[in-house]
Amino acid sequence: MNNQSNPRPLPTTIPEYLEQLRAALAGADPAMIQDALYDAEEYLRSELAEQAGKSEAEVIAGVAGSYGAPEEVAEIYRETEVTVNRALRTPAAGRRPAPVPPMAGAAAAAGAAVAAKPRSPAARFFGVVLDPHTYGALFYMLLSLVTGIFFFTWVVTGLSLSVSLLILIVGIPVLLLFLGSVRVLSLVEGRIIEALLGVRMPRRPAYTDRSQGWLARIGAMFTDGRTWLTMLYFVLMLPLGVAYFSVATTLLSTSLALVFAPMAEVVFDQPVGIWVDGVKMASGVWLWPLSIAAGVLLLFATLHLARAIGRLHGAVAKHLLVRL
Amino acid sequence: MGDFEAQLRKFQKELSAGTVSLALLAVLAKAQEPLYGYLIAKELERTGDGVLSGKQSALYPVLRNLEGAGLLESHVEPSVAGPPRRYYRINDEGRAVLRQWIAAWNATRDSLESVLEGVER
Repeated sequence: MNNQSNPRPLPTTIPEYLEQLRAALAGADPAMIQDALYDAEEYLRSELAEQAGKSEAEVIAGVAGSYGAPEEVAEIYRETEVTVNRALRTPAAGRRPAPVPPMAGAAAAAGAAVAAKPRSPAARFFGVVLDPHTYGALFYMLLSLVTGIFFFTWVVTGLSLSVSLLILIVGIPVLLLFLGSVRVLSLVEGRIIEALLGVRMPRRPAYTDRSQGWLARIGAMFTDGRTWLTMLYFVLMLPLGVAYFSVATTLLSTSLALVFAPMAEVVFDQPVGIWVDGVKMASGVWLWPLSIAAGVLLLFATLHLARAIGRLHGAVAKHLLVRL
Repeated sequence: MGDFEAQLRKFQKELSAGTVSLALLAVLAKAQEPLYGYLIAKELERTGDGVLSGKQSALYPVLRNLEGAGLLESHVEPSVAGPPRRYYRINDEGRAVLRQWIAAWNATRDSLESVLEGVER
């Protein structure tokens, strides 16, 4: 096959190849770039190990035919990402589902299950219950109290422990272990966010240039802004987690209490009404439908809020965890 | 002339887009042990060059999708050659899906062959 779309000379080393690939993917989703670089490095290093005796440049020249030149690989990833996203995403409200490409196979069947017609504002307001991300976000808000406390404790303990131990030699390995653990936790949090909030996050660890010595690589960990931004994110997760948890539990319990208040009177014989400072202001059967209506409205408003917070938090996480 | 070639390439791309998932599942179903991306690519290159008229980099995202759809399982092992490798293995659901896909493929192939019969080559 001849291919004219290859204006740049072929790279001669693996870092050069990855650099060209990164350049060719410029502007794409950072999480996808990270995955693409990871995949390419695995292939290139395996090929190099397989063909011992050949030079790096020769191996890469061969790889351009089988795996693809950087520009071609970039093109493939861009296309696949679009296809896959379209197949996996449940159709948004008021939009027709896109034709499902054959490659998506089984995943598409699940994704295309709900077909939506253009809908009225009321349907859009109540349609929030059909969006799986709503429940993901709600669950994330509840979970973030636990993860927030854990991340915060981890970063604060790790930082203070390794910095104070730096006076002794042991501090250096402790610090390095800690920095490594932050990267792993960043990936874990990314997976949680993608699963619950539906924001594309990296599926592979960040690419590190293996051609440099280990000293240079350790140095790179300190100069890499992502290391510090990740820690900042983890520290922020404590207040955010507490806030998310409080908001979610307060609103959920209030709205559910309003909905089920009449039931309390019917089933458990508890008086239902509005009291202010122990003085009954209103009670009676006429209050029941109002209470239920207010509860249902508040419940749906809570779901909307949860979804909005989920989107916002996803954007924050993306900026702090996968900046390239 | 170049126009014909572009059309052929586009057709090949569409063909392989539809069949690459099937080929990957088949390779992993035949394999005795878990394989990582590079080995899978090489195995496909060795046995079926028809499907792989495209580039092998296209396989990695598809592998990830198949895993996401619950048809494959994977684990990571460190390697001396480079970054840690992700090894893929087909699970029972994957085998069940593969059986269905093979039936669908056979039906498609048979009907296409009967349609193509008698066409001038």
